[in-house]
This record gives sequence, structure tokens and C-alpha cells, in this order.
Amino acid sequence: MNNKNIPTEIERFDLSARIQHVIMFTTFLLLSFTGWGLKYAYQDPASAWIRFWGGAKMAGIIHRTAGITMLLDFIYHQFYLLNLARKRDLRLTLVPTLKDVLDAFQNFMYFFGLSKEKPYFGKFNYMQKFDYWAVYWGMFIIGASGFFLAFPVTVSSIFPMWSTQWIWDVIFIMHSDEALLAIVFILIFHFYNEHLRSEVFPMNWMWLTGKMSIEQLKHHHPMEYDNLFGGKSEKKK
Amino acid sequence: MRNWLNALLLLLFTVVMVPAAYAAVDAATCLGCHGSMEGATNVSQEKYTKSVHGSFDCVMCHMSLKGAQHQGLSGKADKATLELAARISPKSKIDPIAQAACAQCHAEIYEMYKASVHGKNVIIKKSSDGPVCTSCHGSPHYIQPKASKESTVNHFKVVQTCGKCHEEKDLSEKYGFSPLVMERYLESFHGRKLKVGYSKAPSCVDCHGAHDIKSDKDPSSPVVGANKIKTCSKCHSGATEKFVAAITHKPLHPIAHYAEIILIILTVSVFAFICMHVLLDIYADIRDRLFRKGDKHE
Repeated sequence: MNNKNIPTEIERFDLSARIQHVIMFTTFLLLSFTGWGLKYAYQDPASAWIRFWGGAKMAGIIHRTAGITMLLDFIYHQFYLLNLARKRDLRLTLVPTLKDVLDAFQNFMYFFGLSKEKPYFGKFNYMQKFDYWAVYWGMFIIGASGFFLAFPVTVSSIFPMWSTQWIWDVIFIMHSDEALLAIVFILIFHFYNEHLRSEVFPMNWMWLTGKMSIEQLKHHHPMEYDNLFGGKSEKKK
Repeated sequence: MRNWLNALLLLLFTVVMVPAAYAAVDAATCLGCHGSMEGATNVSQEKYTKSVHGSFDCVMCHMSLKGAQHQGLSGKADKATLELAARISPKSKIDPIAQAACAQCHAEIYEMYKASVHGKNVIIKKSSDGPVCTSCHGSPHYIQPKASKESTVNHFKVVQTCGKCHEEKDLSEKYGFSPLVMERYLESFHGRKLKVGYSKAPSCVDCHGAHDIKSDKDPSSPVVGANKIKTCSKCHSGATEKFVAAITHKPLHPIAHYAEIILIILTVSVFAFICMHVLLDIYADIRDRLFRKGDKHE
């Protein structure tokens, strides 16, 4: 392997992607904080918590503004992908494949000590793909239901009469339960992987720099390393 | 000791004043005894004077007191009050005349109440269930202005006040309203927003009315038929028939119920999966660092 051709670090997220991420997590936190007060309205600290956010009216305005901003961020992301595709720069590295299932299986084998090798991960491993697609799930379930709830009179006209007895309860449950799922997911899975893991603590700085060292790439994404630099990584199966 | 003195004083007072019994029996006279009594006959002077009726003489409502101890202390109730008192006596057991006395000043509200489902239940059906004034407004001695934080019928407390009866299983079976009305309201956006202090969120009375409340079988009810569209439009301008069908306080529809179960299963499974994944990762990380030094990391 010719080391001179291999840079010391590699950009994984361009500036636009990093900004999209910042908008996504800022609005996510605002939505979680304000929504939490309403979801647990009958738990003791809820009213004080809502007052902290400037009262029920202000909390509602923050929630709606953050929600719309997040939806716009999501829509922008679709154009960002289209633009990458237009420039023939879009690699389908985030599309879930059968390999991800096998990787997950092997990773569990590794956890249990039944496999000596970590899976031969590509540019994004199955956990990162899970993270990415969870946002789509959230956008369709929580984002859409939130949009419906924000404009109930207008939206009610698109539902057939026979659904009116339950559709709003379903929308409400979707918004509330899936928001809980999203918060729990981010709080446990994403925070552990990107903040608390001993390797990245206190955080994975990639959200700011967008760059990953080649050593990290080789270690965590060997297939991507081999793809890019054509080397025969010793970890290759 | 004080009781004794009070009693003695009252006795003296009574003896002296008997000829002029109907005049000048002010609240202080009554509170002389009732202010220090125990139990149901107690009236707290402090709280009474701070109430909206605090400047009244007791006998303005307690027009016809019984018992030798009250001899000469009260006047005579007029015919209308006596008639009303007789009708509401199954519900208002302590002093129906005093209860009926509310109607003397609050005549307009009384007319509304008389035509309401609550009023009819008490006055016409002579039921002991239906509410009289004090059922919702609390003790007549301590009534606070509606805007007050202590008022039992203020915007943020009236829901609990309605719930005193509307959460009751026995009453719901007897009168055919859903016992889940309260639960369904409280978990709705309206109920939650009211709880966290949003003053524009509707309480029960904003849609159903208060003194003029109607049964949902009554076509003049504000939450029935076309009236419901009008009622919802007070906040949701442009409300349609489809839109107003959303709020019924009925038990959760089976479709919504099963949708909730599916989403809970999904949430719990994802939760279990990620927790397990994180814990195993921590375990493997510690194991590798302790026992596989230099094996993976350079």
C-alpha cells in the first residue's frame, strides 16, 4: 500500500449535511422539551416546566415553529440528495441491505465472544443506518401527525366521515407515542454511540468537523477503507 | 370559656332584644356562637368575611331558623322561597330555605338553572342527585369571585368540580352518561392544555354551558347537531361537521385502541433492542480493553 496516496483524514459529512444535522437536533430538542410538558401534563413538574418555556402559549409557539423548521430541514435534505444524484455524487451507502442483517448478527456474535472479528462494516454500519432511517420514520409518523394536529380544521376535510370517530385519537397516539420512541432512541442509542462510548467520549467531533481519521475509518468501516484505497485490509474476510 | 361567655352574651342580648327581634341581627351575632362551633355548624369568620357574601347578615339567607336557641333571631321567608325550598329539600337537607334564598338575588341565573338538566332534575324530579348552587360553588359562606384562584368554578378548577359527579360510576349508570367523560377530556389536548395553564383551552363549561346546561338528548344543547358546529367555531373558525366529530368524550374506538397497542409494542421492542445493544456493547468494550489488549487496538 502506498501511504502517500492515503490522506490522514477523510470528509464524511459536507458543510450542508452538518448544518442540516444541527438544525435537526436543535429543533428535535426544542420539540422534545416543549412536547414533554404536554405529554406528561398531569405529572407534577409539567406545569412548572411549561412555565420555564414561557407559559403554555409560548411553549406552543416554540413547538410549532420548531416542528415546521424540522419539516423544512427534512424536505431540504431530499433536495440535497437530489442534487447529489444530479452531480452523480450520490452513493447508496445508507440503503439497508441483507448485509446489514448479517452484520448485526455477527456483531452480536462478537459481543458474546462467539466471533473474534467485528463485522466488515461499510461506510455506514447498521446502527448508523438505523439512526438515519429512524428520522424518516419520525418524519412520516410524528411530523405528519404533528402537522395534522396543528391544522385540525383544514386537515379534517381530507378524512372520510367514517374515520372521524377514531382518526384523531390515532393521530394523537401516533404523535405522542412515537415522540416518546424517538426521544428514548436518541437518548439511549444515539447518545451512547456518539457521546458515551469510551472511544468517542465526550462526543464524536465529526458533527462539527465532518472528518474522520483514516485510522478510525480503517478500524470502524474497513469495507469503505478498502473501497476507497483499494488496499487489502487485514480484516477483510 | 369563650363559648360560655358568648352564650351568656347571646342570652342577655336575646332577652333585651326580643321585642325588636326582627331587626338588627347581624352576622357578628351569629358568628359569636357559630364561629367557635365544631363540625357542620361551624362558620369561619375569617373566611366568611373574605367571601363575596361576607358583608351579608346571616338571616338574609337563613330566613327561617329552627330551635329555641334561635328564637327571635330570624324572620319569615316569602312564599316563593318557601315553595322552592320545599322542592329542593330532598337535595338540600341542611337548610333548604337558605339554599332557595340564592334565587332571590340571582334571579336570572335561577331562571336558567330551572330550565337546565340539572335544575329540572332537582326541582321537577325532586332528585337528591342533581346539583344545587352549593354543589358546584361550594359552601355558600366561602364563595369566592369566579376569577379567584380559590373559586371552585374558576376556569382551571371547574373541570374537577364537574368531575365530582361526572366521574361517578353510579350516577353515570343512572343517568346514562359515560363515566369516561372526564378521563377522555383530561387526556385530550383541551384537558392537557388547560392543566398546564393555557387560559384559552376550553373547560367543560366553555362548550356545554354552566347554569343553562342541557342534556345531550336535548336538541337545544350546544354540543348537539348543528349547535356543536357553532360551539366549536367559537375557537376553531371554519369548523365543519367532519371536524366536530373529533371530540365526543366517548371511550376510545377499537381501531384507535389497537393502533395504540401496536405502537406500544413497537416502542417497547425498539427500547428493549437498543438497551440490549448498548449494554452488550459496553460489556464487549470492557472485555476487549481488559483481556484483548493490543488485539484490536494497535
